[in-house]
Amino acid sequence: MATRPRRRTAWQARAALLPVLLTGALSLAACSGGSTSTTSPQSSGGTSKTLVMDASFTLKTADPGRNYEPTGLIVGKALYDTLLTFEGSDVTKPLPSLAESYEQSADGKTLTLKLRQGATFSDGSPVTADDVVFSLNRVRDLKGNPSFLLDGVEVAKTDESTVTMTSKTARPELPFILPNPALGILNSKVVKAHGGTADASDKAEQYLNGASAGSGPYELESFNTQSQVVLKANAKYWGAKKPTYTKVVIRNVESATQKLNVQRGDSQVALDLSGDQIKSVGGSFQTLKTASANVVFLLSNQDAAVSKTTSNPKILEAIRKGVDYQGLLELAGEGSVQAPGVIPTMLLGALPADQAVKRDVEGAKAAVAASGVSNPSIKLEYPSDLTLQGLSFQPFAERIQANLKEVGITVELAPAPVATALDNYRNGKEELGLWYWGPDYPDPTDYLAFLPGKLVGLRAGWKAGADKELEAVGDKAATTIGDDTRKQLYTDIQNKLNASGPFIPLIQPSQNIVTAASVTGLAFHPVWTVDVAALGAK
Amino acid sequence: MRHPLARFLLRRIAVAVLLGLGITLVTFVLTNLVPGDPVTANLGQRALGDPAIVAQFRAEHGLDKSLPVQYLTYLGGLVQGDLGMSQQSHRPVLDDLAEFVPSTIELAGGAILISLVAGVAFGVIAALRRDRLSDQVLRVLSLVGISVPTFWLALVAFYVFFFRLQITPGSGRIAPDMNAPPGVTGLYTLDAALAGQWDVFASAVGHLLTPALVLAAYTIGLLTRFTRSAVLEVLGQDYVRAARAKGLPGRVILFRYVLRSALVPIITVAGLAFGSLLSGTVLVESVFARPGIGQYAYKSATTLDLPAVMGVGLVVGCVYVLINLVVDILYGVIDPRVRLA
Repeated sequence: MATRPRRRTAWQARAALLPVLLTGALSLAACSGGSTSTTSPQSSGGTSKTLVMDASFTLKTADPGRNYEPTGLIVGKALYDTLLTFEGSDVTKPLPSLAESYEQSADGKTLTLKLRQGATFSDGSPVTADDVVFSLNRVRDLKGNPSFLLDGVEVAKTDESTVTMTSKTARPELPFILPNPALGILNSKVVKAHGGTADASDKAEQYLNGASAGSGPYELESFNTQSQVVLKANAKYWGAKKPTYTKVVIRNVESATQKLNVQRGDSQVALDLSGDQIKSVGGSFQTLKTASANVVFLLSNQDAAVSKTTSNPKILEAIRKGVDYQGLLELAGEGSVQAPGVIPTMLLGALPADQAVKRDVEGAKAAVAASGVSNPSIKLEYPSDLTLQGLSFQPFAERIQANLKEVGITVELAPAPVATALDNYRNGKEELGLWYWGPDYPDPTDYLAFLPGKLVGLRAGWKAGADKELEAVGDKAATTIGDDTRKQLYTDIQNKLNASGPFIPLIQPSQNIVTAASVTGLAFHPVWTVDVAALGAK
Repeated sequence: MRHPLARFLLRRIAVAVLLGLGITLVTFVLTNLVPGDPVTANLGQRALGDPAIVAQFRAEHGLDKSLPVQYLTYLGGLVQGDLGMSQQSHRPVLDDLAEFVPSTIELAGGAILISLVAGVAFGVIAALRRDRLSDQVLRVLSLVGISVPTFWLALVAFYVFFFRLQITPGSGRIAPDMNAPPGVTGLYTLDAALAGQWDVFASAVGHLLTPALVLAAYTIGLLTRFTRSAVLEVLGQDYVRAARAKGLPGRVILFRYVLRSALVPIITVAGLAFGSLLSGTVLVESVFARPGIGQYAYKSATTLDLPAVMGVGLVVGCVYVLINLVVDILYGVIDPRVRLA
């Protein structure tokens, strides 16, 4: 090492100033950038009002015929009016929207809808029976994600103001399906002009991702599945209640940042906060904690070829009695509830809270002893990268592992990314699985999928004929009309499921929404999360 | 073709093409080895129960063909500039990339600029003021920059500058109530300046600063340390002492003698560091909600969106090739003894 200069020269002195200058320049630039863009979006005042809503996006398309993701449904609800709708957070009573009334035949196979006169699309043209028939047929025949909603349903125009929906079997759930934003009514002339057809050759998606063709309170200004969706108020909206905000910006922001944005006033609504985050939000904000309609459950495979352990009825009983439901509930945070059955609490036919399964450690130990399996060991599979209402599945899996260890069952955790984990789940290869089910539409019919031989039942290795009595009740429930009878049937089904079915309903995590004090009219809806047009300002 | 630079460039381009081919092949094979099915990842639970829907999805995305055919079809499209359709955004991958790459270029470019200026300056200062207080402080800071995880730093920076001090704007690339500037380059800063929309420009720069600084933290630290040691080594050389004895002004000694020789190792490190900068963008873009290629890559990977993953792979590969090219050319510019051929 050679000698180094000790003498402080002029250039050394100047160089020493560099960090000071640099820091100064950077902070100056930061300030200038900040001051211009932190003006509150609402301060533009007067006639124009902007609402900024932060959400963790699950969004693929703005085309109603293909739309089935949570964020997509928020957008769809604002752009496309449907024949029927729900008010607030209620999902038990379908109300008129583009149809002013509906009537279901006694056998449940025919639904007659009377269309409202005077409803118009955003371009001013009237909503006709032809638009309705085109839109609904398109959803069914596109073979996209929401096609199943209208599976086996024929839509026909009876006259200019009447549409009839018929099916070979009774469809008591149809009035509860029609409010789904995927069944929004499209301006058929516009859509056809842009390649729209009512079959799989349809090419209108690109167009519908750039512009809307609906009769809803908003129109699409810009759409990006990764960053943001901008809605502008439909100036020609036909409905009595005009939207309050002239512009709505829905941004893709992860939940940690969502909270800071809303607290700072950069956004007015934060949709996906976890129970922990919402605790410390502070007084001047409105917080809404509502049990979501997502039911987290365990499935215990009944196929002996997949597992001799979990298909043992005594082991199944031990798992059901061994899980600490209250502990899981605390883990999920305030606002969450224990799922009393597979049907979430807000739907018709949900079990009352006091009929939920309770922990019974001694009973569980006895069941393990009676099972004849020594040192039972089970592999628990679950999606590791999935968050549900801001919650990760990992802590729940660990808690279940600890719970079952207490009763003498060893649980080996097998997390996998959702894209991989879904495969085993879907193919019914999981020994023990931790998953959730959200309603496709808010009607208990959707939950018949949990019965033997049906979609979810098969994932638990529960083949048709495994429980003939239960299946018979299920078949009856599927075709029965009349709320009281249906309620009774679904209560019966869930009690049977809770007694011996392979599913163990755990919790419904809370959907936590924070809004600025200025936002009014917020309600959590199980299908479309938030109705943007119902939000007001004070 | 006699010119050495032309020959050099030609060889580099040939290597880049081979590299691109390799990237697509490796990504294609690896993605198909992952247990999991894009159909399951993309269709809803109910749609999965309908064989007709599943069959249609497979046909639409060419998943019903054998793997070699799928790959060759992809290459066939690639030659014509068609990168396939993304399964998650339902758009051509090329459109997605055209939208997200500029955002990342802006971010990474900002980070490179900041780290070059700050890293070299801090390194020179630390070397000139060796063992004094400013040297000690800078060395500690550079160590912090290198060792602090980007994700944590991003969250803390967002919290401190945006939430506590309220000097920087929030999520996204511009303020939510502003419209994007007319798209020429896709870089909001440049586009806004070209269009003369100075409020949008200020907003875009403001939104860019914190994430760029966070992303630069690691490279600033790295460059500071390397510059310091490189400069120290040169300072001890005889020719520097000779220059000083000749009475040359300090400025001339620093820039013409010291920095010029120190630059070769600095550029090597900078090239390597900038290549890896892209991996940091995933986390920074996620915290600052900037729609860029990092976020896009992450989402594509988790939904097994093969065309998108390959598209991102190609872009990243090109960036590496480009950075290496620039570094190699710079060697020749700085040190005439280095020959390109």
